[in-house]
Amino acid sequence: MSDGPKRLAGTVAMVTGASRGLGRALAIAFAREGAALALCARGIPALDEVANAAAGLGADVLAVPADVRSTRDLERLVALTLDRFHRVDILINNASELGPTPLPYLSEYPQAAFDDVLQVNVTAPFRLTQALIGGMLLRNHGVVINVTSDAAVTGYAGWGAYAVSKAALEGLTRTWTAELAGTDVRMYAVDPGDMDTDMHRAAMPDAVPSELARPDDVARAFIHLVTSAEPAVAGHRLEAAALGQ
Amino acid sequence: MVSNPVRPLPALPAELRAHLPAELRGLRRDGVRLMVVDRGAQSIRHSRFIELGSFLRAGDLLVVNRSRTMPAAVPAYRQDGELVQLRLCVRHVEEWHVLCVEPDPPHRNVALREGERLQVAGVETVVRGRRADLPLLWRIDPLREGLERMLRSGDPIRYSYVPEPVPLSHYETVYANEPGSAETPSAGRSFSWELLFELRRHGVQLADIVLHTGLSSLQDDAVDAEHPLFEEWFAVGANAAEAVNRAPRVIAVGTTVVRALETAAGRDGQVRAIEGWTRLRLKAGSPLRVVDGLLTGFHEPQASHFDLLRAFLHEPLLERAYREAITARYLWHEFGDLCLIL
Repeated sequence: MSDGPKRLAGTVAMVTGASRGLGRALAIAFAREGAALALCARGIPALDEVANAAAGLGADVLAVPADVRSTRDLERLVALTLDRFHRVDILINNASELGPTPLPYLSEYPQAAFDDVLQVNVTAPFRLTQALIGGMLLRNHGVVINVTSDAAVTGYAGWGAYAVSKAALEGLTRTWTAELAGTDVRMYAVDPGDMDTDMHRAAMPDAVPSELARPDDVARAFIHLVTSAEPAVAGHRLEAAALGQ
Repeated sequence: MVSNPVRPLPALPAELRAHLPAELRGLRRDGVRLMVVDRGAQSIRHSRFIELGSFLRAGDLLVVNRSRTMPAAVPAYRQDGELVQLRLCVRHVEEWHVLCVEPDPPHRNVALREGERLQVAGVETVVRGRRADLPLLWRIDPLREGLERMLRSGDPIRYSYVPEPVPLSHYETVYANEPGSAETPSAGRSFSWELLFELRRHGVQLADIVLHTGLSSLQDDAVDAEHPLFEEWFAVGANAAEAVNRAPRVIAVGTTVVRALETAAGRDGQVRAIEGWTRLRLKAGSPLRVVDGLLTGFHEPQASHFDLLRAFLHEPLLERAYREAITARYLWHEFGDLCLIL
């Protein structure tokens, strides 16, 4: 793949939660395709490691340690990115909070943890998109991908706050898509499926890793989505496994 | 050339200062009022901003300033531990020009010493001295990772008529992009994308430029009355230049856009792609080579903003508009109502 033409040369992509799991795989995959990258995560050593790996593939990388729950951190991420690259073409709202593990039932879910999950998984993508979409609309060009989960549409016991937050994120995606009608700024909610990641291990420690999708393969589906000559219909939830690579 | 008004202009009543953005006053962001001054008909009409489209024609070009507002009021410590506030006015690569004021209202100017060191968000900077043409501005070493430091510790610059802090997102326009303004390019702050989409459906075109604003006040009435002029960085891209040259009517959203476009305009009235620093001062009698109309906020007559309006309006109509804005109780300043001059 790395021998082929770089399909995202000249574009700028932002990935939140880029230090681990799918976020890390997305950063590497986008770097391979020639995109400039703005990456954020809370863990500085892990973020630096991903940034160095992406830079080693030739990418122009800005790594911003940031907690997406903080409005000031989000604004700092946005302003530093626009100061460096002048625009963002692709925003991937990937940073997600699972909540306390083992996963408690809603009947005893701590409210503070519930609020925290919604802030990371809903409020942060809302605010980050709001801060970047103006530039996309001026250029009439841009893609926003919100990473969702099948928990949004299936009632799994114990997945309360996470399920609520992802359902809300899909609602945000549908509504915003309706408001973007007539523009070339597109928004998607993509369900990556069950992946072999730290988050999945925390949620389901007994899952068999070999039966789970590899983040690197899922990341290729994201690349396909943003490079496809015929864009997928925006707004609806998409499953990475069905996107092709 | 400009005669003094026969009657002195009335002072701005304190209650007409907008103390919060419209969306925090129970309205929508675009829910402000609009006064329309028609230079041809010598008329003044009263409307609402969401009716803007009814005063524009298909083909009209709105030009907005996409500069993003920075949290440009930054706390700093002097060597003796005194807390001051630096207000970033001009950000050259090799030197920053800042106002230094007390941290609390009324934010009186603080005199620094040449060579003294300041601690700003964990890094040190050195005061090089006063700016020769504007002695209230201090020349300092550019902060290492300066934008990063400012974004960590700064707040939006806030004047006395805004009594409580307002989050930065309310100072930003909905199309804000590259950071660099010390104060909001506020004429465009009331736009919603819903309104911009509607205008587009009516055939109104949109183009964007960048002009990073400096300070509107140096916190000294006598100095402010002299209308101090400093350089501001701006960029007009090839797309915007082409759109301006093609458009039958160009309406600047804010005086910053007038300054940028008129700087970029040649004597032939053609705008070329350009970026750099502008020191253009527009005043009564200044030729307007490309801008045909202006959307602007209401600002006090002693502000330099009024000088620029004189390039658009002859004194009698300007005075009439000012008096009528007060009588009709329009709200003033960056969170206030708007005026369209055609």
